[in-house]
Amino acid sequence: MLNCIDNSGAAIVECAMVIGQKRHASIGDRIVVVVQKQRDAGAAGMAAASGAKVKRGDIRHAVVVRTKQKVTRRDGSCIKFDDNACVLINKSGDPIGSRINGVVGMELRKKKWSRILSMAPSQA
Amino acid sequence: MNVTPLARRPLSCLKTSLLRQARQQKMFSRSLATEVQAAAAAATSKTPSQGPDQNFFANTYKTDRLVDKKTKSVRSAFALYPPPLAAAGKPLSPPSTTNPVAALHDLQIKKLDPTGARTALFARTREAAKVGDILLVTHRRGGEPFAGVCLSIRRAGIDTAVLLRNHIGKVGVEMWFKIYNRNVAGIEIVKRRLKRARRARLTYMRKPKHDMGSVAEFVSAWRKSRRVFQTKGAKGKAAGQGGQGGKKRK
Repeated sequence: MLNCIDNSGAAIVECAMVIGQKRHASIGDRIVVVVQKQRDAGAAGMAAASGAKVKRGDIRHAVVVRTKQKVTRRDGSCIKFDDNACVLINKSGDPIGSRINGVVGMELRKKKWSRILSMAPSQA
Repeated sequence: MNVTPLARRPLSCLKTSLLRQARQQKMFSRSLATEVQAAAAAATSKTPSQGPDQNFFANTYKTDRLVDKKTKSVRSAFALYPPPLAAAGKPLSPPSTTNPVAALHDLQIKKLDPTGARTALFARTREAAKVGDILLVTHRRGGEPFAGVCLSIRRAGIDTAVLLRNHIGKVGVEMWFKIYNRNVAGIEIVKRRLKRARRARLTYMRKPKHDMGSVAEFVSAWRKSRRVFQTKGAKGKAAGQGGQGGKKRK
């Protein structure tokens, strides 16, 4: 279960599998998720009006942007967030939402997710 | 030996009984008393190459040595190994008592922190940074400077690191920084803890009850105070630098 921190309409998603590797996912890794909870605070009306981009039960791709697990960087520094979070993307790798609210890990740069990085308000 | 039973035995077994006798004799010839000699012969075959060490063995292992009467060379029942020699042919000196790892750390710290400022900032002194203080780490390689409450200081020579915790947009973020890292441009004390922390590691500050939240306001206030000093000119700036105390810039 991860938080979804974009405005695609999903609030909590469940990881179904990690794409392209047999290990656990870390920041910048692509995963397949199932939308478990929609963002409904105000979005309920908006979802009906504009049609939320994703619905509960949808299977989507996502990129992990924060992990509770410590991520060690090359210079020996470590980063650890208090939650696990992801951003939904479509099959071609473009983010579904148009905004990200929340900090994302700097490892995205290394893994070539510059679009997500540029959408994020802050990076750590 | 086996003469009497041999007579009673059928002729066909003569061969086997004779063989048995021969084997027994061989057994005697292989017994302990001769084994020493055999081993010693093997040992002496090695000794000529050792040269001066022969005397050494003769003196030290007196109990084991056997002097051959003809060749006057030392024989032993045990394998003899020469003592390890240094490059110059002298025996090795005993290992030094100083800790080589600590010496290496000192060397590296001297290289990475020539002014000693980083060491001083996290030394066990009154002026040094302690857990509970709010620190600001500036990175040389881009990115925003990271500020946070120091939860723990891991003192490990060159690997000494600090754990900072902050909230960025409602999400708690913790980062470890190696203090001797070249990428860490500077570490500054933004705010000191009012009372000394009574724990070495403030992991309880992760709990919602004790969580400090964002330290952004402390950092902005500290920035503002610095700016005041900076605009007042060189004299004020110097005073500001002195007033902050324990601050490190590089």
